[in-house]
Amino acid sequence: MRTEGTLAILDRWGRAALPGTVLLFFVLLTLAPLRAPYLSDTLPLLPVLVVFQFSLATPERLPGPLLLVMGVLLDLLLGGPGAPVGVSALGFILVRAAVIANRRYLVGVPFLFQWIGFCILCWGYVALIWAFTTLWTWAAIDPVPAMLQYVVMIVIYPLLAPLLARVRARDPLNVPEPSRGSARPGETTT
Amino acid sequence: MAIRDDFEVVASQVRTVVQRFALGLLVIVTFGVMLVGKADTVLVEHARVLALDMVSPVLEAIARPVAYANRAIADLREFASLREENARLREENARLLAWQTAARRLENENEGLRSLARFREGPEASFITARLVGDSVSAYMRGALLNVGRRVGVAPGQAVVTGEGLAGRIAEVGENSSRVLYVTDVNSRLPVLVERTRERAILAGDNSPRLRLTLLQSIAGVQNGDRIITSGHGGSFPVGIPVGEVVETSEGSVRVRPFTDFSRLEFVRVVDYGVTGLVGPAAPAPAAPPAGVRVR
Repeated sequence: MRTEGTLAILDRWGRAALPGTVLLFFVLLTLAPLRAPYLSDTLPLLPVLVVFQFSLATPERLPGPLLLVMGVLLDLLLGGPGAPVGVSALGFILVRAAVIANRRYLVGVPFLFQWIGFCILCWGYVALIWAFTTLWTWAAIDPVPAMLQYVVMIVIYPLLAPLLARVRARDPLNVPEPSRGSARPGETTT
Repeated sequence: MAIRDDFEVVASQVRTVVQRFALGLLVIVTFGVMLVGKADTVLVEHARVLALDMVSPVLEAIARPVAYANRAIADLREFASLREENARLREENARLLAWQTAARRLENENEGLRSLARFREGPEASFITARLVGDSVSAYMRGALLNVGRRVGVAPGQAVVTGEGLAGRIAEVGENSSRVLYVTDVNSRLPVLVERTRERAILAGDNSPRLRLTLLQSIAGVQNGDRIITSGHGGSFPVGIPVGEVVETSEGSVRVRPFTDFSRLEFVRVVDYGVTGLVGPAAPAPAAPPAGVRVR
């Protein structure tokens, strides 16, 4: 049994807190008055990218209740009067569940297929938000801006995803914690 | 050994059940949150205001570098068309000088006529200058966050103007922050006048850059280029703030382009008119801060 140094503890805490912090940052970035054309309208979808990428890399550090809180915060900050509060949370949780269900496949495949997976899930998310907002406010909302958002989002996915993927645990086994049992990376069985 | 294996099997089964149940539970909770939000709008309003107040210092900290970056981008873009811009401005300046002369003459004349007719002016408006610290622009919402709140006299329903014209109205107010709903938002309905014909109408947003003019008594009288101004009906807005100009008139639909360039807003002014029509006629007007309060 090794005793852990302060640095090691800090490292562990930092690793545990990183996905949540990055997600919070992107939720806040949603409100940044960025004037870049196309990009500023896409900001509300960036948290989905973070949820997707971290659910793929380290789902245990991005638990469902945290996503619930972040989604509600996003809705509170973003939504205008009458918009449903909690619909982003629902979207986040469903994206996470879908990624975890297909994680064994998604982790192993080339980047292109991860991208396709993101395209499908993000489409589902956009459609969900649009449908709920339309039902909730009972007004015909033009779906074109939402679709534009989606298109810009999937185009910038390859730019951001590799960056976020770097937080993946440096683990040659790279399998979910429970199925690995007590084996440590590099350990050989006798 | 066998008992231990059995135990582990059962434990893992329980764990899977709990995990599956956790997803369902979370989904139920989100639906619960949505239903509560629908049922208790006051609670949601409080939560929104609390969240705004919490994040507005953070946003203010990042607003300055973001504004700097935006300005750099805009500078680069303008640099390319400096010559044309200069010529255009010179032309505009000449035109505006002519208007200034006309305005001076009319002001004098107006003053004389008012004193003759003992005209009583409406309440004096005061302004609160605010920095725009956050956008709340999405596919479903057109608005922004300001760094001023209840503490300096901002109240829901007040008009938000820029140099060019009306930008929107205050929708939610926190202690030190507030949210503007732009006129282009789908929830925005504004009583207006067509300046030339003095006809009343409602200007509605639909989240697109163009506004829709509806409920006109006679839609035929409106022409392209007509200026649209606030009518002051409903009591919360001063009369005569320019909003936009008519750019499209076709069968049954009149489109208005707002004067405010929403993609370039950095500072806005909140108009405290002293009358908040949304509060109701019986309620006393809130104490107005001294005219010309400047906040950062």
